[in-house]
Amino acid sequence: MSEVRITADVRTEFGKGGARRTRRAGKVPAVLYGHGLDPRHISLPAREFALAIRGGANTLLTVDFDGGSELALPKSVQRDPVRGNIEHVDLILVRRGERVTVDIPITITGEPVPDTLVNQDVVVLTVEAEATAIPDGVEVSIQGRRVGQAILARDVRLPAGVTLVTDPEALVIGFMAAPTAEQVEAELAEAEAEAGIEHEATDAELDAASEQSDGEAAGTAGTGDSESDAEQGARSDES
Amino acid sequence: MLIPRRVKHRKQHHPGRSGAAKGGTQVSFGEFGIQALESAYVTNRQIESARIAMTRHIKRGGKVWINIYPDRPLTKKPAETRMGSGKGSPEWWIANVKPGRVMFELAGVDEVTAREAMRLAIHKLPMKCRFVTRQGGDV
Repeated sequence: MSEVRITADVRTEFGKGGARRTRRAGKVPAVLYGHGLDPRHISLPAREFALAIRGGANTLLTVDFDGGSELALPKSVQRDPVRGNIEHVDLILVRRGERVTVDIPITITGEPVPDTLVNQDVVVLTVEAEATAIPDGVEVSIQGRRVGQAILARDVRLPAGVTLVTDPEALVIGFMAAPTAEQVEAELAEAEAEAGIEHEATDAELDAASEQSDGEAAGTAGTGDSESDAEQGARSDES
Repeated sequence: MLIPRRVKHRKQHHPGRSGAAKGGTQVSFGEFGIQALESAYVTNRQIESARIAMTRHIKRGGKVWINIYPDRPLTKKPAETRMGSGKGSPEWWIANVKPGRVMFELAGVDEVTAREAMRLAIHKLPMKCRFVTRQGGDV
């Protein structure tokens, strides 16, 4: 995992008013704690911090503030649920050589055999690693996997120096049989009938229907003309 | 269709519509999701309709999760009825959705198929929504 140097300011005003003023100034309120020390309130430059954690949630930060510098890992990042802006950050102090417990993402590679549904139960693995050598993630190959097989946490190959914290027997990926087209169609038809959903006709069906109606209209138009001719004849006779 | 099996109170007040979602704002189970951008009451029929639209598009490939449940009853008085005489009878079951909530999730399909399936599903829902993807290892 990459290491990023970031300059922070010590925060002197607290509460929602102070936090909002900090955010308006293009900064993110943050707190730095760990190792039994008192928490320190700082503010980080919002843009630099967002770019730093874009590379991965476990980016190691070297925070320069108050004439010193500290190594820290993001422990919790609070975001606005709609806009996605970072609202507050919890940073935990780490030391070089210290082992830390972090979550690393699992990436799937390869394709299973056809007609197999991949069910990923776990998307991150909790591992213990050295703070300066946290892996970006782990890759799990599902190439040629069949229905009924499973990949457990202990089956995932971890980089050297990384140990698993997640339960080794936890299911990471399961492989199930994909439903047949008939099963899917039957399930959807039943659901649609229950919900009272009616399908619109397809283009082909609409074309066929319009051709049929045109033919019928031509037939009725012919009879209509003959009737009108007869009426006109009758009127002329009367005159 | 989703409907509670048994409820403590048959008729309830209208749920509040202010504020943003407190949880369920990230894609947790699948790879892709539909996130609400406005608050709305989503009925069980709309949920089912969106699910059917998604499943019809992905055919037999993927898996769909529904993260909302219509557990709030809404009542309605019959047409051309004088006011008074008590509260109307339960008419709809709705989920009270706030902005930010990830309502549906999808996995097991490529992004192009997922985008189209979710676009079709969004058209069945009563609020503005957007397509979101899972951010690996978010903190």
